[in-house]
Amino acid sequence: MSGDTTPQRLTPAQRLGRSAALTALIVGGFFPFIWMVLTSLKSEGELQKFPVQYLPSKLDFSNYARVFSEQPFAQFFLNSLTVSLLSTVLCIAAAVPAAYALARLNLRGRGLLMTTVVTFSMLPVVSLLVPMFRLMRGANLLNTYPALILPYAALSLPIGILTLVAFFSAIPRDLEAAAMVDGTTRVGALTRVVLPLSTPGVVTAALLVFVNSWNEFLLALSFNTKLSMRTVSVGVTLYQGEFAFPWPLIAAAVVVATVPLVLLIAIFQRRFVAGLTAGGVKA
Amino acid sequence: MTPPLNSSPSRRVRREPGEGLLAFFLLLPAAALLLGVLLFPMLTTFRDSLYLNKLTEPWLTGFVGLKQYAQMLGDARFGAALRNTLFFGVLTVGGSFLVGVPMALAAHLPSRARDVARVALLLPWAMPPVITGLIFAWLFNAQYGVFNDLLVRAGFIQEPLRWLSTPGLSVLAMVLTIVWKTSSFVALIVLGGLQGIPKEMIEAAQVDGATPTQTFFRVILPLLAPSLAVAFIFRTISAVQVFDIPYTFIQQAPAQGLLETLGVYIYRTGIEFLDFGYAAALSVALFALSLAVTAVYVRFVRDGGNS
Repeated sequence: MSGDTTPQRLTPAQRLGRSAALTALIVGGFFPFIWMVLTSLKSEGELQKFPVQYLPSKLDFSNYARVFSEQPFAQFFLNSLTVSLLSTVLCIAAAVPAAYALARLNLRGRGLLMTTVVTFSMLPVVSLLVPMFRLMRGANLLNTYPALILPYAALSLPIGILTLVAFFSAIPRDLEAAAMVDGTTRVGALTRVVLPLSTPGVVTAALLVFVNSWNEFLLALSFNTKLSMRTVSVGVTLYQGEFAFPWPLIAAAVVVATVPLVLLIAIFQRRFVAGLTAGGVKA
Repeated sequence: MTPPLNSSPSRRVRREPGEGLLAFFLLLPAAALLLGVLLFPMLTTFRDSLYLNKLTEPWLTGFVGLKQYAQMLGDARFGAALRNTLFFGVLTVGGSFLVGVPMALAAHLPSRARDVARVALLLPWAMPPVITGLIFAWLFNAQYGVFNDLLVRAGFIQEPLRWLSTPGLSVLAMVLTIVWKTSSFVALIVLGGLQGIPKEMIEAAQVDGATPTQTFFRVILPLLAPSLAVAFIFRTISAVQVFDIPYTFIQQAPAQGLLETLGVYIYRTGIEFLDFGYAAALSVALFALSLAVTAVYVRFVRDGGNS
């Protein structure tokens, strides 16, 4: 990691260039989200103007109330939270031992195993949709939480493993060796030496898996079709009619659905950057 | 960086008796999940592609061998979807590098606004693709969209453009949306590369009298090559498989044929036309494309491209 935040002597032109670059980056990243916040606070009347009125004349929060009254959005939210948290727990629980074995044990065929993990991370979800649907239907799991938890955990597992292998590999081997000389077993070394040291890695992997699960759309759209089992990513698309797009309402739903992500990113930005630069992560 | 695929762990820790058994148990939960939830459906797809199975014509069943692959070759809609996918792929992968690399350079600048810049960098990456599609459909709205408003105010256009209902413009709008969403992924990978460049190397170049442009092209860019390659491969994979954003745009734009990617065509064939057999054959084509890119990646990493 770089700690080069030391003040540098910059010419005024360089200073201006730096400000311009950072402003472009910040505006470009935040603008669509901020525009949705502004849209969500306007009435239909204020919206239907051209040239566009940028700021709402008064803060109107009624669209947020409608998000929850017109669709069971609180239920969508609870469903997304349950599915995302449980799939993250399942994924990490399977990824930690696997990544430890791949990073630390003298495995024969380790290269082949790593290649297999990478290949699994590249599988197109849409190609698995129909057979997975039939699998879930056969197991009587459609419209249940496991119908999403199992695929989400499996789909994020390769990313979780690759991220954790990178973190485990960075922990000095001597620490473990010392513990093992002192009579600790292999499993003891994992739980008492490696895991505590790699907490940041585990948190990072968990965050990546959680975001993947929270954002997934295709499987959620196809497997859990009962309204009470819908997740947030599908829920936000339910406010539009065939020809009607009540944008203030849609915008409010978008904001509610995205706020958890914005908070997670703001709190854990360092972990996210570390994770995305450590493991192979799909765009 | 991505862990090397084939570097075996050093032998300092002696192989203990029973280590093979331990490895088996450590790998078992992950293997069970991957094989049960991903590999099994994948193998089913291969089998299904050899059988007719169309819910709307239930009397047509049975083994047909490679017939559905032959059907694919003569299917104009498949050809169009494949061409669209490749066309969008070139534009969006290229676009995400044109935007993402400068973003990474900006985010790497020492500044008090650095934390805010990082959040701005992460936000598009973390935004659900479907929600991104919805947001941009609103930004590109013909009557009240803010992009039209800005373009009119700036004097680039006289009348608002009908972004989503004009075929060429709807493609442009979708490409721009995907570029916004994916540039930050490129930027994050490149930022990781930038953080790995020792400051001394850049200072040495400056001491030797290199201009900032020379430093960038002769020192920084060559050192970034591995990160750029990794970002390029991952972006190519996601471009081949792109589904969510085209799917959202198709709901809003009449020029659907122009926006249909291979992923969307598979979805419609399977879920809307209920032709499971043909959808499976199309899926195998998408597997093959993805695997081809994966093979390039595996070879790249194996050749030590990221060391």
